[in-house]
Amino acid sequence: MNRFLLFLIMLPAALWHGLGADVVQLKAILDTKLKLDDRKPLPIGRQQKQKKIKFGSLINAVMFLFMGVLYMMPIITVNDRIASLTIYFSMLTAIITFMLITDFSNVLFDSRDKYILFPRPINDRTLVLARLLHVVIYLVRVVFPLALPGWVALGYMDGWKSATLFTIPLLLLVFLALFLVNCIYLLILRLAKPEKFKDVINYFQVFTSVIFFASVYLFPRLFDRKNPTDFNILKYAWVRFTPSYWLASCWSWIGYPVAISGSAVYSGLAVVVPVACMFILVKYLTPSFASKIAGIDSADTGGYKPVQNGKRPGGLYKKLAYAFNVSDEARAGFIIAWLQTSRSRSFRMRVYPSFAFIPIYFYYTLTLGGESFSEVMSKLPDTSKHLFLLYFSSFVMVSALSYITMSDQYKAAWVYYATPVMVPGRIMIGAFKAMWVKFFLPFYILLAAFVLYIWGLPAILDVLLAVINVTMFICAIARINMRHLPFSIIEQTKQSGGRILKSMGAMFILGPLGAGHYFCVHLLWLKLLFIALSSVLLWLIWTSYANTTWASLVRSENEQ
Amino acid sequence: MQPIITIRHLAKNYGEKVVLKDINLDIFPGQIIGYIGPNGAGKSTTVKILTGIIQEYSGEVMVFGTNLRDSILEVKSKVGYIPELAELYDLLTPREYLNFIGKLYHLSDDVIEDRSRKMLNSFSLLENMDQRMDSFSKGMKQKVLITSGLLHNPSIVIMDEPLSGLDANAVILVKELLQALKQEGKTIFYCSHMMDVVEKVSDRIVLINNGNIIADGTIGELREQSADTLEQIFSRLTSGGNQIQAADDLAAAMNAGG
Repeated sequence: MNRFLLFLIMLPAALWHGLGADVVQLKAILDTKLKLDDRKPLPIGRQQKQKKIKFGSLINAVMFLFMGVLYMMPIITVNDRIASLTIYFSMLTAIITFMLITDFSNVLFDSRDKYILFPRPINDRTLVLARLLHVVIYLVRVVFPLALPGWVALGYMDGWKSATLFTIPLLLLVFLALFLVNCIYLLILRLAKPEKFKDVINYFQVFTSVIFFASVYLFPRLFDRKNPTDFNILKYAWVRFTPSYWLASCWSWIGYPVAISGSAVYSGLAVVVPVACMFILVKYLTPSFASKIAGIDSADTGGYKPVQNGKRPGGLYKKLAYAFNVSDEARAGFIIAWLQTSRSRSFRMRVYPSFAFIPIYFYYTLTLGGESFSEVMSKLPDTSKHLFLLYFSSFVMVSALSYITMSDQYKAAWVYYATPVMVPGRIMIGAFKAMWVKFFLPFYILLAAFVLYIWGLPAILDVLLAVINVTMFICAIARINMRHLPFSIIEQTKQSGGRILKSMGAMFILGPLGAGHYFCVHLLWLKLLFIALSSVLLWLIWTSYANTTWASLVRSENEQ
Repeated sequence: MQPIITIRHLAKNYGEKVVLKDINLDIFPGQIIGYIGPNGAGKSTTVKILTGIIQEYSGEVMVFGTNLRDSILEVKSKVGYIPELAELYDLLTPREYLNFIGKLYHLSDDVIEDRSRKMLNSFSLLENMDQRMDSFSKGMKQKVLITSGLLHNPSIVIMDEPLSGLDANAVILVKELLQALKQEGKTIFYCSHMMDVVEKVSDRIVLINNGNIIADGTIGELREQSADTLEQIFSRLTSGGNQIQAADDLAAAMNAGG
């Protein structure tokens, strides 16, 4: 695909030459950039450092195509064309904007250019054109597969007129998205300190990931193909102020009925506003934008206030480290896990989306039966679905825990081996506690509050039993499958067969625990017995994990 | 005087590849040993064995008169290791990193704080104490690593390319530090490629090549046969002194047409 795109983009080589670019250099730069795009980690899902990604852009294209299929749902299921396209364009703008925000800084404005390209004899026009064409190729790669299914659906349902028209609002939408991204970037640059910029972008990545996940689970439910909806846009008259509605109202040009009057004005806005935005973007924003983005890396050390002689107040993590741990090793494990997970962007990217996945997935399972959300909610207290929610919380902890052993800087783990650590399990249990206190506990408290609100105070024993069982389950997983020191191993692409089997074994623990809980949900004495037994079991597994010796650590490393 | 480190018939292999063949060495307290050798000679492997990072080897290593295998924790608590390449968790600040390391040596918070501040101050890093190290230069990270290796006041200091990335002033500081540590009776095992520094700071130089010690003595003893510098001695013993030809070939390659 790269060769084809490069071929296409280099077709008007004479034009590029005429604009003052060195065509040979331009082609070489674009060729390299496209190769790098192909090899960069995929934007969603688990990023695996070690895995050599070869056809990243092709995989992305297939993924976007799949997303495009989901996004075209309103076109098929909502009868009113203007309404359906308003929804469609809103979703498309959202996803394109998020994609651009996450990729703009690290792909399109690669800080390495400064060292690799700038010292070479390349003229400015070649550099600017290379950057511009790279952005165009990037947009084509994202927008084309995302919009293709909607385009085909429109052509199939409405005929060639609608399909032909589609290209214009799509282009205008891209203009809008570009403008929006620029504005958001400038806003972030203004509000956040330069060194925090990448962190903010990182949160956008997390959101993008959540949007992807939510789309997959919720869109098919919201837009059921079997039940076309008579969506009355008049109920939502405020949409007339949104650009998505303006874009959709362009269909009034080819005779589609418009419920809200004034379609000529709105469709006029659809053309004028994006073009004006593009003008402002090119004329005023882009020049400073590019230099600001390029300056982000060099600004990493900026804004730092040197410490004075006075002692810095001890952080919360330190107090917690002392409160939850007895040995120094466990405190060290607690501290390193707490601090590293606060700072590592890749950890955030991998673990934070799981917090959103749980409510989304819960909603998904609640509405599986085809009932509306309000119907489901009214019946909820009579069910035992709170157990599902409580047990599903283990997902957050498993996800946090599975990344706590891995790091790009795994070589820095030499310290554990060079220092007098008698029982490495103490460091591991310290790190485990840090994850439990930091990620699991607050989230579980929120879930518990929701459960107590819906199911009432009697559910408190369920909350208690579930927290014991879930902690036991994750401790078992850690004991069986993650017997490594914190941030000490390189990220694995493939799990060995033995490990997978062991993981599956651990997963089987949760099933019977949840089922057992389900059966005793109305039997108080059985529940109390269960709590007692689970507590003993938890203590046994916990102790075994905390007493992991160097020998068993080496064994577990060899098993990898 | 009893040697503080005794190495007998030390050998180590990674699968088929033999890294250390037969290392025999006695190191005495208060000595600065310059441990040199070409890339892949086995320097880092020796260091990793001495620091307890690698525990699978054949032969015998005695430290403080006890077998390393039998009293590994005791040895580790008296040894300070400063690795090369600034391998540390750079998302942390120096204060946080040193606190973490200090805990692993069972130092109290007050001791860690006091020593960290004083040592970082000597390296002119005090005002960066609460700044994340991911924005640090290689030299700044190396200074934190040196601090972390000395934090627990070890009797033996093992340094693997400790000057890597340091600026001229810091190099002078570390060289002076080596002498100061020696005055305090500490033993220093100094592993490096920088011949001029090794020549100046070491009481004794041990040269290894292909997993064997090929020269061992003071710089004076090594020079007995010729008036060469350590660099020339190193080149003669490890590559037959044919580096000049290699450099000529490299320069000629730039003019090659194709």
